[in-house]
Amino acid sequence: MHELSYAQALLDEVLRLAEENDAKKIIRIHLKIGELLLINPEQLKFCFSAISKGTIAEDAELVIEFIKPKIICTECGREFDEVIGICDCGGIVSIEGGKDFLLKKIEMEVE
Amino acid sequence: MHRIEVDAEYDVLSLNKRLAKENREFLSKHGVIAINVMGAIGSGKTLLIEKTIEALKDEVKIGAILGDVIAKDDYERVARHGVKAEPLNTGKECHLDAHLVHHVIEKFGDVDVLFIENVGNLICPVDFDLGENYRVVMVSVTEGDDVVKKHPEIFRLADVIIINKIALAEAVEANVDKMVNDAKSLNPKAKIIKMDLKKNIGFEEWLEWLRCALRSRGE
Ligand SMILES: Nc1nc2c(ncn2[C@@H]2O[C@H](COP(=O)(O)OP(=O)(O)O)[C@@H](O)[C@H]2O)c(=O)[nH]1
Ligand SMILES: [Mg+2]
Ligand SMILES: [Zn+2]
Ligand SMILES: [Zn+2]
Ligand SMILES: [Zn+2]
Repeated sequence: MHELSYAQALLDEVLRLAEENDAKKIIRIHLKIGELLLINPEQLKFCFSAISKGTIAEDAELVIEFIKPKIICTECGREFDEVIGICDCGGIVSIEGGKDFLLKKIEMEVE
Repeated sequence: MHRIEVDAEYDVLSLNKRLAKENREFLSKHGVIAINVMGAIGSGKTLLIEKTIEALKDEVKIGAILGDVIAKDDYERVARHGVKAEPLNTGKECHLDAHLVHHVIEKFGDVDVLFIENVGNLICPVDFDLGENYRVVMVSVTEGDDVVKKHPEIFRLADVIIINKIALAEAVEANVDKMVNDAKSLNPKAKIIKMDLKKNIGFEEWLEWLRCALRSRGE
């Protein structure tokens, strides 16, 4: 389950920012994840809730926004919704983005 | 008590990216070409590495990192060919990452080619850059001829795609040309090789690609 390593990296940074802000509790964590990243959101949530037990991020909600890659034919400019290498026109299709995993915002409770 | 919102701009993948970059810098400084050998369980990854070592013994200095949940068996198979090798146990993890490779990479500064056999799995290793120069993805016809289509991401990002065990295609009713076409339409730039390691099909083509990669080193 490679989601575990993602969850750990995420938790480390969340707890670092929480400490920096003297947070008492983490309520919500906002993420942006590229659609081409091979990650199962349910597994991520499960792993995160397991490893955050006993920390102030326990019970925090993960809010995920998915980001689409740009898939476009380099010859005719046609855009696609799915990964494909060659366009009907014979042109090579370029694929950009869709691979990010960003922590954007944390909602936390402070004194 | 009150609530605040803290903006962050943190790349959750940044640690792996940084260590992959360090691996890549080490390799390039020492003129080593690293090849991430990925693919399904039992597709022939270890045998490919073994046969390549035997074929190029007098020509090229080869090293190998063998990653697996339990890496000892593959390590012993490769080490008995007399090359420098290192097992990497991933334990519960389903993939190698740049950190694991980082721990052993310094032992391989003196080789020409470093093979890194990844955990047999067409999904989990895909998003973990190890710092390699090339990705080779190996599947065999016995996994079914829809295996390429079902795992677009790993094939899209490959430099070489090997369809192995093609001599068994008829017995398992797999259509090799369909697999090749699926691979081509996902990744028109990849080198695609139809292979059978037991019948010596496609192996010369693979060696040719590898020699070519070695010649273009540092360019
Ligand atoms: N029939 C046949 N068997 C093969 C071929 N390549 C590998 N094998 C066998 O497939 C099994 C798995 O090979 P191995 O190299 O361990 O695969 P890995 O799990 O990808 O490292 C072994 O028994 C190999 O001898 C092939 O081209 N044809
Ligand atoms: Mg193996
Ligand atoms: Zn996994
Ligand atoms: Zn087009
Ligand atoms: Zn370490």
